[in-house]
Amino acid sequence: VPARLRAALIAGAVAATAFTVLAPYYGGWPGPHGPPIFVITQAVVLLAYLLAGLAAGQLRPAERTGLLFTVTGYAWLLGWLTNLHAALPFTIGFVCNTLYQPCLAHLALAWPHGRLRSRLDRAVVAGNYAWNIGSNIVGALFWNPRAAGCGAGCPANLLMLPGSTQLNEAGNLIVTVISTCLTLIIVARIARHWISARGYARRALTWMIWFSLPVAAYLEVLEIASNYDTGISDVVVYGVCPLILAAGPVAYGVRMLLTRSAAGALGAALVNLEPGPDPDLLRDTLAKALGDPSLRLAFRVADGDGYLDTSGLPVGSAPPTGRVHTPLGPAGDAILVHDEELRHEPGLVRAAAAAARLALEHARLQAEIRAQLDQVRASRTRIVEAGDTARRRIERDLHDGAQQRLVTLSLALALARRQAEGTSPGLEELLQTASEEAAGAIAELRELARGIHPAVLTESGLAGAVQSLAERSPVPVVIVAVPGGRFPAQIEATAYFVVSEALANVAKHAPSATARVTISQRTEQIVIQVSDDGPGGARPEAGSGLRGLADRVASVGGLLRVEDAADRGTRIEAAIPCR
Amino acid sequence: VTPRAEILVVDDHRGFRVFARAMLERDGFTVAEAATGAEAAEAARAVRPQLVLLDVQLPDTDGFEVARRLACQGDAPVIVLTSTREASDYGGLITTSAAAGFVPKDQLSGMVLQAFLDGARDDKRPSCPPG
Repeated sequence: VPARLRAALIAGAVAATAFTVLAPYYGGWPGPHGPPIFVITQAVVLLAYLLAGLAAGQLRPAERTGLLFTVTGYAWLLGWLTNLHAALPFTIGFVCNTLYQPCLAHLALAWPHGRLRSRLDRAVVAGNYAWNIGSNIVGALFWNPRAAGCGAGCPANLLMLPGSTQLNEAGNLIVTVISTCLTLIIVARIARHWISARGYARRALTWMIWFSLPVAAYLEVLEIASNYDTGISDVVVYGVCPLILAAGPVAYGVRMLLTRSAAGALGAALVNLEPGPDPDLLRDTLAKALGDPSLRLAFRVADGDGYLDTSGLPVGSAPPTGRVHTPLGPAGDAILVHDEELRHEPGLVRAAAAAARLALEHARLQAEIRAQLDQVRASRTRIVEAGDTARRRIERDLHDGAQQRLVTLSLALALARRQAEGTSPGLEELLQTASEEAAGAIAELRELARGIHPAVLTESGLAGAVQSLAERSPVPVVIVAVPGGRFPAQIEATAYFVVSEALANVAKHAPSATARVTISQRTEQIVIQVSDDGPGGARPEAGSGLRGLADRVASVGGLLRVEDAADRGTRIEAAIPCR
Repeated sequence: VTPRAEILVVDDHRGFRVFARAMLERDGFTVAEAATGAEAAEAARAVRPQLVLLDVQLPDTDGFEVARRLACQGDAPVIVLTSTREASDYGGLITTSAAAGFVPKDQLSGMVLQAFLDGARDDKRPSCPPG
């Protein structure tokens, strides 16, 4: 709504309210001596419609609901013109005093979007306007205000035929019957709309049913009470009952608030969803927030132009009648299939689509990260595996090549020394020294090869390798249990390095302790425990050895734990899955 | 030293065989050679050695398997495994094998082998473990 129009509407509402309150003081009928509740009720109903019109124009500029509310409000005001002490406004006020009624019918039949649905509805509304204005003009011809109790000084009815009398009872009866029929037709049309509506529109029309039934009842009471002597007090008929009319705009305002809070609830609901929500849960949340239980969330089929919804049912590329596709994001990989009526809540649908997009994007990113993490894990495993293989090959090459030749050389030197025995003491000594050098080189090479990869692991598996580690360890080692079978090379290597590093740690930090090694095979994992009875003090974050070991264990999907309690020694435990 | 005891040296490394033969012959043994497990089986049948010095790593089959086969034939020789590696590199495999013992290649001497021969004379036949 343009700012100028809004300002005019606000000014109009203020002026109309002021007029409502002040008009009775300038005479007319019933004038300043009427019960104050007349003025209050008149002002409340007027303001309810004008403010609802303002709010509707502001929040739903594309709809005509705001216009209809505003027109109904001013139509309601016209009846109040009878309060002015002048013949023309008095007459206009009389003729238009029920004009708000066809306006109300128009609003109700055009509910919730302000547009009439069918030719029949348009005919009913037009007929209603015509009947209302026509019957009031005809009525005015025969209406003598003085006879109706508008005492002395009452303004003249400009339309009154000279010397006319009140309509007779037969005339009144015809008017009442036709008005009642029209009211019933309108209520029936509203009920028809309600029955044929679904989802969002049905909810909106449920409000209208609850509003229109009491209003219709009131209008009937008004029709009868103003034509017949019913004995119902004027205060009730003109003062209290019209407040029912204000219920519609108030309900509309409440509905607006609920819609806004639905958008808020939508945000809250989606924020509260776990990261990467289950599509079913996302659908339910969206359906609830949009008030459309039939809402479907569908994803594009990988190689085709159709969609599949969260229940796995196919969704065509074109929406069926009464349904609308709202794409989630420009790519259109996912869509919301919802009630067509929701197009009148574009803000809410946009919010829902944006929230769903966020949730799906979140889920997609999560899946992507998970996939990347899986890849990184797999590549880490492969890197460690490749490293192990390379080390095994180097050890093998050293053994088959340099070590073999050195051993042969050492044998040759021993032989040469024995042949030189007693012939040349100088040569014998020289050969002795050479033999010792060769022996030293062999020992060093063996140690180097073992450091690169323990041959015993390849040759005899974990049990032999752990035994060999225990034998070479400078601290006493008790092997409590080691499974005898063979495991995948990587598992054996990891288990071996855990024991090796743990024993090296014991030797370093608790040289006077005794270490205990327990390796147990459980259903799906091998658990390696190395404990000592030393003073404790191992901290995985401090030493690169334990940290490297933790990385190594993690590379095969295992977990390393270091328990360190003062006076109770250190306990290193690694659990390695073995598939 | 038992005169002319027959020793079969099984190793695919020619250099080792050359020096082992020279050393053992110098110590008074008669030496036959084989380069593979298959040759070893053949030579053992033909030569009937008292002792087989058997490399653990052979190109066709591993020394433990050759030892098992040799031990399970009639009139089995004393089998001594050898390697450039140390015994501990084989975990418990050596003690559970059909061999009488192990000598690292760089520790080889006629005296060591003679000790095995002497030990075997006191002992019973080498056991024939199931395959």
